Amino acid sequence: MKLQNTLLGVIAGAVMLQAQGAPPDFSGVYYPLNPFGAFRGGPAAGGPPPAQRQGPPPRPTASAPLSDGSRGRTPDEPLLTPEYMAKWQMISKTRIAGTGEYDLTAKCLPPGMPAMMRMDYGMEVMQNKDKITFFGELNDALRRVYLDGRKPSQKVLDDPTYAGYSTGHWEGDTLVVDTVALRDNTFIEGFTPHSDAMTVHERIRFKEPGLLEDTITVTDPKALTKPWETVKTYRRATREKGNDELREFACPEGLGEAK
Amino acid sequence: MKIAWIACGALLGTALFLTPAAQAHHSNSAFYVTKVITIKGVVKEFRWSNPHVWVILTVDDGKGNKVDWKVEGRPPGILERSGWTPKSLQPGETVTIDLSPAKDATASGLIARVTKEDGTILSNAPPPTE
Repeated sequence: MKLQNTLLGVIAGAVMLQAQGAPPDFSGVYYPLNPFGAFRGGPAAGGPPPAQRQGPPPRPTASAPLSDGSRGRTPDEPLLTPEYMAKWQMISKTRIAGTGEYDLTAKCLPPGMPAMMRMDYGMEVMQNKDKITFFGELNDALRRVYLDGRKPSQKVLDDPTYAGYSTGHWEGDTLVVDTVALRDNTFIEGFTPHSDAMTVHERIRFKEPGLLEDTITVTDPKALTKPWETVKTYRRATREKGNDELREFACPEGLGEAK
Repeated sequence: MKIAWIACGALLGTALFLTPAAQAHHSNSAFYVTKVITIKGVVKEFRWSNPHVWVILTVDDGKGNKVDWKVEGRPPGILERSGWTPKSLQPGETVTIDLSPAKDATASGLIARVTKEDGTILSNAPPPTE
């Protein structure tokens, strides 16, 4: 009887712990729901295999999304102050002319936060109690989110990086992350510039099993007229689908060939 | 071997008389990504490397001249998920490549898709994630 009661107590305790919300495990490999922006590459890229098609597949009409700003900015992009709008226009001109001088990823540099969370290629999440690590396949970009209660020190704040310094905590099943100490030569997304005052706030959760959602809010009083919010969604890969291993990127392999 | 042009724009015509591009790591902004032209030729080299794969394609311009096109594709990680392997293309085989031409009008471009002689299509992106 006594043993029974003890066992019941242990089980009840475990159930209560679960109810109190042991945080979800985000670990795994993911792919974005909308890779390459809204680009689909035409029916030939990603359409059904030839056997299932009726007639020959149509010819593709593009190789990648247009990313030179020649069609201006869309209303869902960050709203820039005049100074940063002028900077964007200047970079747009270089891209329309065909140069990649402001293209960080073409130089094998990491995209930085928050651009890296587009995860246009693949993403791998590694998680334990004290830290969650996000790895982006594109240019092997890495960021760590500390969950053990530490805060960015003055040394960290004085030393901005591409991924910045991220700390997070759980609010129920949602991971809340704040990122500071970001370099000002990266882009918010595409080639939208920002200042050294940019900070990034995220709320990350499973929208449904296997579907991870990151609601990102970017604040930058110098570059943006108001905070900008965007939502990224990623599908977890599975061993059954055979897509749960990311290949190494090793970008500088190609830099050696540049002439 | 007679190799026919399937499509040929004014820009392509210009490109034939210029030196092939140096192999370099490019931003997508180096290409007219929303234009697609088609070339057919013989694979001289297929390089499975990051951050882009490369196909060197020898193309006959129909006037007795052979031009080596240097065409780049997405990284191996993306192409693997689109059905490519390091052995997808073999030197000596004839393929048709739909590509976006380079803005500098050299004989180079960005792959939209590759079609092998047996009709197999190698696309430049995996199926969309649902």
